[in-house]
Amino acid sequence: MKNSKPQNTKKTRGGSYYKKSFLGSWIFAVPAIILMYMFIWRPTVMGFVWSFFKMKGYRPMNFIGIQNYIEVIKDTEFIPLFANTLQYVIWSLIVGFLPPILLAVIINEMVHFKQKIMTFLYLPAVIPAIAVSLLWTQMYDPSDLGLLNMILGKFGIAPYQWLNDGRFTILWIVVSMTWKSFPSAMLLYYSALQGVNQELYEAATIDGAGMLQRAWFVMRPQIMGVLILNFVRQIIGVFQVMEQPLAMTGGGPSGASASLGFQLYNYGFVTQRVGHAMALGAIIFVVLIFMTIFYFRLNKKLEESI
Amino acid sequence: MKRFQDKTTGLLTNIDLKGAKGKIIYWTFFAILIVCCLLTFLPAVWTVFTALKGPNEIYTSSSFFPENLSWSIFVDRVKDSWNQLKFGKSMINTFYFSIIQWLFKIGVCTFAGYVFSKLKPKGSTMVFTLILWTMMMPAQMRTVPNYISFLSFPFASRSEFGIGINLLDTYWPLWLGGAVDAFAIMLFKNAFDSISDSVVEAATIDGANKVQVFFTMMIPLSTPIIIYESIMTLSGSWSNFFGPYLIIQDSAKQLLPAKIFLMSKDGTVKQNTYLMGLIIASIPQLLIYAFFKRYIMGGINVGGVKG
Repeated sequence: MKNSKPQNTKKTRGGSYYKKSFLGSWIFAVPAIILMYMFIWRPTVMGFVWSFFKMKGYRPMNFIGIQNYIEVIKDTEFIPLFANTLQYVIWSLIVGFLPPILLAVIINEMVHFKQKIMTFLYLPAVIPAIAVSLLWTQMYDPSDLGLLNMILGKFGIAPYQWLNDGRFTILWIVVSMTWKSFPSAMLLYYSALQGVNQELYEAATIDGAGMLQRAWFVMRPQIMGVLILNFVRQIIGVFQVMEQPLAMTGGGPSGASASLGFQLYNYGFVTQRVGHAMALGAIIFVVLIFMTIFYFRLNKKLEESI
Repeated sequence: MKRFQDKTTGLLTNIDLKGAKGKIIYWTFFAILIVCCLLTFLPAVWTVFTALKGPNEIYTSSSFFPENLSWSIFVDRVKDSWNQLKFGKSMINTFYFSIIQWLFKIGVCTFAGYVFSKLKPKGSTMVFTLILWTMMMPAQMRTVPNYISFLSFPFASRSEFGIGINLLDTYWPLWLGGAVDAFAIMLFKNAFDSISDSVVEAATIDGANKVQVFFTMMIPLSTPIIIYESIMTLSGSWSNFFGPYLIIQDSAKQLLPAKIFLMSKDGTVKQNTYLMGLIIASIPQLLIYAFFKRYIMGGINVGGVKG
């Protein structure tokens, strides 16, 4: 919307006043391009290449075909890990997707204390992610030292195991992630809502549309783009979850909260199965790249429609 | 206090709000927000109160509030925790780290934005597309190959030439890797795009060269974006955990987020000190937020849909 100005770009293409010096222009972008190559493009390509190599420590030795992939997939943990990762994604969509939207809609309606409420709600977003994970680990403490069991105790309920309850460990981790991430999503939706043309609401009101009808026929189409984009982006982001299980549970109890990303960290830096780490990375990459292509297609379509 | 009449139209209109039904809905919304504010605040308040509890009190009392609370207890608790946790060194490290990171990032990304927005040499559109692609490329795959290349920088791996510098335990991999950010480049490009070409052309005719145009026109005319990106970079250094945790093993060079993670693994740290550590680690970012709230909250419009 703000960044696509095709008419403008075309007019200045080739920048007539600088045409003379081709190298003199490129030189400014050289640091960015070199760093981009070294830190993003090269490792991505090398990750693929080395996933077909036998690694000795961090040194690639000889080509072994798809041996690494076979070993990673045949690992008895692979299927459960994949399922766990999907669980993270699904829980995060259930728990984390709707609340920021509803909050943004509600805040958009507020007359009183709007700015103050926003300031307060934004608090979790400015606490370092690792501190949030560690804080929630304390809140989930299975003895009555934790905040949540303390509250349960006030109602006379026995302490609950929280993170140690393997069936729901992922859900509790996702709750803590949501607490951290909802304010920025909320802000994003809020700014989209602010962009909705006021006259459309007025016109709808004059035509006799009630509150819900205004929400569905006026508000929804206008913010649908941002919603879908964020939906896809959340899937891509959560699929790579790693720091939270690392910090909160160490993958436990008995692997119940380990994700593919966490396993990649284990392969790469703990158990020193570097070739396997590379193969697993490639698998994650391939799964997500489809998602990403879909995202870009969608993004382009939406930008064109705006 | 503001009045309902001032409300811009939305789901609830002024007319709705005059009726009882509208008012009920409005105040229900308000109540929901207050509950959400409490939910966001409760963990923070609990952290502060528990951090102020005495060393024995945390195990004996399950009360939300500390038994005694006075200024001197507060000072003692902060002092004790500070002495046990020894965050001073890593806070200085993180501060130093964040400043250099900021210099690198703003330097590299503004220059790149300038090239793609105004200079536009042949092929720049293609390179810019390549850069945009990196924005959504799954990052996880790069962790291990990047780590391998840090062992023999700037080569991809040690076997290639048998030479290269080992960058582990230095800040260089983090600085260089953090210096280039497709999103920041795009942000700066958009900001520079909005500066009129005729102004630049006029300056060029008056004899300004590219560097002069950049420093006297591009940078001053896009200050809001540069401030926004600066705040994000500076505060990002205080929450960047995984990269520094992997690369910096030397405890004298540790950055704060990695330090608090190590603290959590240390069995001797009791809950009150632990939580005090988390508070201390959050203070820099909270301060940045307090001072630059306007830019941070407004920044979302800067990024638009791509946020």
